[in-house]
Amino acid sequence: MKKLTILAIALLFTVGNISAQDVTVDDIIDGYLENTGGKDNWRALKGTKMTAKVNQGGLEIPVEIVVMADGRTYTKISIQGNEIYQGVFDGENLWSTNFQSMKPEKSDQETTDNFKLNLNDFPDSFLDYKDKGYTVELMGTETIDGTETYKVKLVKEPIKVNGEEKEDVTFYYFDTESFVPIAQDTEIKQGPQAGVIQRITQSDYDEVEGLYFPFSISQGIKDGPSAPIKMETIEVNPEVDESVFKYPGE
Amino acid sequence: MRKYILLGLTLITSLSFAQDKEIVLKGKELFGDMTARQIGPALMSGRIIDLEQHPTNDKVIYVGSAGGGVWKSTNGGAAFQPIFDDHVQSIGKVKLDPKDPDNIIWVGTGEIWTRNSVSIGDGLYKSIDGGINWNKVGFENSERISSIEIHPENTNVMYVGVLGALWSDSEERGVFKSEDGGKTWEKVLYIDQTTGCSDVVMDPKDPNTLYASMWEFRRSGWSFNSGGEKSALYKSTDGGKTWNKIHNGFPSGKLGRIAFAVAPSDNQILYSVVESEVKEKSGLYKSTDAGKTWEFKNGDFGLVVRPFYFSRITIDPKDPDVVVKAGLFGSISRDGGATFKGMGNMHADIHDILFDIKNSDRMYVGTDGGLYRTWDGGVTMEIVANLPLSQFYQISVDNEEPYNIYGGLQDNGSWYGPSRSPGGIEARDWNVVGFGDGFRVLRHPSKKILYSEMQGAENVWRYDMERMSTKTIQPLQVKGYDDLRFNWNAPMAVSESQPDRFYMGSQYLHKSEDMGNTWEIISPDLTTNDKSKQQQENSGGISRDNSGAENHCTIFTIVESPLNQNVIWVGTDDGNIQVTKDGGKTWSNTTANIPAEVPDNTWVYHIEASVHGEGTAYAVLEGHTTGDFNTYAYKTTDYGATWTSIVSDDIYGFARSIQEDYVNEDLLFLGTEFGLYITINGGKNWSQFTNNMPPVAVHFIELQKKTNDLVMGTHGRGVIILDDISPLRSLNQEVLAKNVHFFESTPAVMEEASPFGGTATEREFVGPNSNNNVKITYYLKKKHIFGKMLMEIQDLNGNKLIELVPGKSKGINVVTWNGLIRQPKMAKGKSIARGGFTSPRVPAGTYNVVMTKGKETYKSQVTYINDPKSLLTDAERTANHEATVKLYDMSQELAYMVYQIDEILNKAEEAKKSGTSKNVDVVIKDLNDLKKTLVTTTGDNYVDTEEAKLRGNIADLYSKIASGFQAPTASELENLKLLEERFTDAKQKLNLIIQKRVPKLERYMEGKGVPELNYKSYDEFIQE
Repeated sequence: MKKLTILAIALLFTVGNISAQDVTVDDIIDGYLENTGGKDNWRALKGTKMTAKVNQGGLEIPVEIVVMADGRTYTKISIQGNEIYQGVFDGENLWSTNFQSMKPEKSDQETTDNFKLNLNDFPDSFLDYKDKGYTVELMGTETIDGTETYKVKLVKEPIKVNGEEKEDVTFYYFDTESFVPIAQDTEIKQGPQAGVIQRITQSDYDEVEGLYFPFSISQGIKDGPSAPIKMETIEVNPEVDESVFKYPGE
Repeated sequence: MRKYILLGLTLITSLSFAQDKEIVLKGKELFGDMTARQIGPALMSGRIIDLEQHPTNDKVIYVGSAGGGVWKSTNGGAAFQPIFDDHVQSIGKVKLDPKDPDNIIWVGTGEIWTRNSVSIGDGLYKSIDGGINWNKVGFENSERISSIEIHPENTNVMYVGVLGALWSDSEERGVFKSEDGGKTWEKVLYIDQTTGCSDVVMDPKDPNTLYASMWEFRRSGWSFNSGGEKSALYKSTDGGKTWNKIHNGFPSGKLGRIAFAVAPSDNQILYSVVESEVKEKSGLYKSTDAGKTWEFKNGDFGLVVRPFYFSRITIDPKDPDVVVKAGLFGSISRDGGATFKGMGNMHADIHDILFDIKNSDRMYVGTDGGLYRTWDGGVTMEIVANLPLSQFYQISVDNEEPYNIYGGLQDNGSWYGPSRSPGGIEARDWNVVGFGDGFRVLRHPSKKILYSEMQGAENVWRYDMERMSTKTIQPLQVKGYDDLRFNWNAPMAVSESQPDRFYMGSQYLHKSEDMGNTWEIISPDLTTNDKSKQQQENSGGISRDNSGAENHCTIFTIVESPLNQNVIWVGTDDGNIQVTKDGGKTWSNTTANIPAEVPDNTWVYHIEASVHGEGTAYAVLEGHTTGDFNTYAYKTTDYGATWTSIVSDDIYGFARSIQEDYVNEDLLFLGTEFGLYITINGGKNWSQFTNNMPPVAVHFIELQKKTNDLVMGTHGRGVIILDDISPLRSLNQEVLAKNVHFFESTPAVMEEASPFGGTATEREFVGPNSNNNVKITYYLKKKHIFGKMLMEIQDLNGNKLIELVPGKSKGINVVTWNGLIRQPKMAKGKSIARGGFTSPRVPAGTYNVVMTKGKETYKSQVTYINDPKSLLTDAERTANHEATVKLYDMSQELAYMVYQIDEILNKAEEAKKSGTSKNVDVVIKDLNDLKKTLVTTTGDNYVDTEEAKLRGNIADLYSKIASGFQAPTASELENLKLLEERFTDAKQKLNLIIQKRVPKLERYMEGKGVPELNYKSYDEFIQE
């Protein structure tokens, strides 16, 4: 029923030309979470498993991404039949397979510490964001991909970059009609690209057991090139081999 | 339920469009993901106005540029990123909040070193997140902001120094104070409408003490004045309430621009460089009692040269005796200003100097040619090679493939470089073809010859690009004619119908039929010849400044009609639009036909003669040198008898140049002070183009005829190209009303290009190449958000070749396909066969594009053609393709064989668990022996490697052939034959094992209850 109300509100905006000022940031976040399945359903989610074939100009690589509610995660890449793990977290260690030696190696401590700060972001940073101590701010409207969006600033726990503490800020762009995010921007914080804005766009939202997920995601540089990923399957509450997460080096 | 409501929503939205209302899309709604590319160059960079460093973190540095926005480095100046690309690009001052310097940044716009070619600003901006988002906080009419000072303890207290309008009276000048962090402002020091604040400086120890230098100045199109009775240095000790002149020891009489600084380490020590009407009194003055008295210290040329251009003094934060003065070369004193020496070798015209907060030997210097850094106190200078701030006055293009871009730069000579280059467009790709300030560079229409020039046509070069030989060819005064008056940016033109013809404009139009060897004057004086605007030797004010930059009553733009060589248009800097229809015998001044909203004598910046009609032309006029920032662009179809305005209120800022489309007369491109505007309906509505296109001053635009690339010469961000604008040609109401519309795709070339890339070092700027892959371009009426939207390429029989990810923006989407299909499925080994990462190319030809969106399917086609430059025959291409396919298939079949072997081995090992069997052991041994000849079974991917086996050998040969275009060589064919034999042999061996040995294994398995062997089919295996 709540779904209906929110959408009816969205409808009103379009028809009645209610200005963006009348919407609060919580209207947008609530609308987003309700329209994509409802907060309770999101809270009940235990994990997701996504499969995709990443295609980089003819080079096709199958990928499987598992994220569990307790923070364990892995990305499995299949290259010539060999399974290579990247960004695996077992609850304590963040590790990846080295492409040359094909052996597991831990990430540096700072990366691992920053990663742990995001454990509370499953399934979505905005779900119960106040309890996480996050702050949000509606910054106005902006045209993204030719369409009108609400720009929302999300500030999470500060992270460390080469030993210096930095704010962790992401700008989300929510479609003003459906309230789902269609893009997010973050500033790249280190390396030669430091200061460049990274943009991730989302589309092809579709339903999986009552929850809506974007099946098409593109990651790149704002106003620059990007690499798209099309999800083939998204499975909720998947059964996974528990042993995969464990850092095998110990 | 949700879907119904969404549907309802769509219905209502479309109903509101269903009326007969014209669909007008603006900006990003229209242009979708068409994106400009910024190709630099950065090797000559551009003018820097102001430098700022974080007060505690010496890795963070900001650069405010003359026309290229604000750039930030977070790594000590190794790399910079632009952070102000949504706003006006001309910068006066960058300032960080002293208490929250990580987040709060103030930018005062409008450059303050007021040469003739400066851009304008439009206010004060603030960021509270380190430069990601910006808000304008006022001073819309300030034009130029010179200073921002913030109370170190109470950051709500701020002072802003507004230099103000350069070309007109203005009341938004002087010193302004805010006590609420910039929300409201009070003008606390104001002299008059002609006198601005060139510096406000807060005492480093006492925030209530302020110094303000006030400057009386004015520029016009033909003159410059610095100085007067009202220029003065003031001091306030009560937070700006009262101000007193502090001139005790200064020269009396008229003063000009007064440079000023307080020593950060000793607030009693002040330095000032004073411009005085008494030449010998101009120079550096020093006070050691906080301004009560001044002592003259030094009048060196390096200190007093061109005060309007160089008035920055920087003092070492740790040592009040180390003083640096901006200037032609930059001067540094280590004895408190008594003596100076020049700074190390770098680009001339130094505007700002920054000492590193931690190490005074490390300095940054902003020049007319970019940013330099030094580690030895200014002795040795090194340029930052990644700031593409070049300031083009004009550009042109040729018809080569790839085409070249030609242009001249402010204080940085004349250049040409390619629109694409292996690995990207980098410093080594650019060729210098002129000294001094560069302006127009034109390519001869058919010969490898170009024309270039320096300021005021002091030299016009005809340059042979093959032999690198030059000849100076500028028209000289001849008997019976007045002295020639050339503009600083002197016009030249070539003829499309007569390739050797070359035009130049002084006050007369000069024509040469032999590439500049002999000249003929084919007009009377086409200007107003107003003598009062020809007094350049008096220009400069109290310091004479006759550089030629103010030459006036000159021709500024010349164009011959592409349809009739006898129709020639000329525009002058003093407002005349003249046309001849008989090759110069008679001239008609059409200025009176320009509508009355244009003030008399408004500069005619650009005339474009149309390809759509002999009498059709466009004229762009601009009055910024009188303080008139309105947009003026007109069209005539009757040789100037009537001129009709083609601008709308959509445009912000004055315009300098226009480009028509060669196909659709209603498609026009306008270059303004604040970026690029496009109309698709002949000027009824305009849209700003902002996709990777900052609102930078666009001084000239060309449309390359073969590629349909729109090439812009910007004054601050180099060359910016909007690749292939042809989709805009067919945008009309019918197209805009469709849900999906595919634009016709231009066949793309399968380029046989160098795979080796460029030579730029890590920190050198490299401009991106255009994507020359085949383009699938379509218009979407609405952004796609829900449900699947897919795209695939099929052959003409409908067989799927590859999936692409379609763009989903409202407006125009561009998807590219590189002509490659998926790499072969490779056999699983212990390590990776690198050759297997090569994706094969499809043969040239036409392919289907199928896009599905929800339940709808949309179809289009794309075509690849072979490289016309290639020397390959069809037979050679076929041989390449056949060998590629053969090796691709062998790789995949081998993958299937290894899959079968692994499946059998798994079962055999499983069966073995139930007890030993000779038959099982034989199968395992035979299969393992065979497998070891097919793939690697040990080692890693780097140097702990096993020798390549059959898989690796096939992959290596496959990759060699598939990634090239040539027919296989004899050696490759011999190798292929060997591999085929080994492959056949292996296949036979496997078949033998499967036929002879595996049945025995299966019988054993059956007895042990192990599930039977059940392979995937070959097709299933390949497709998974």
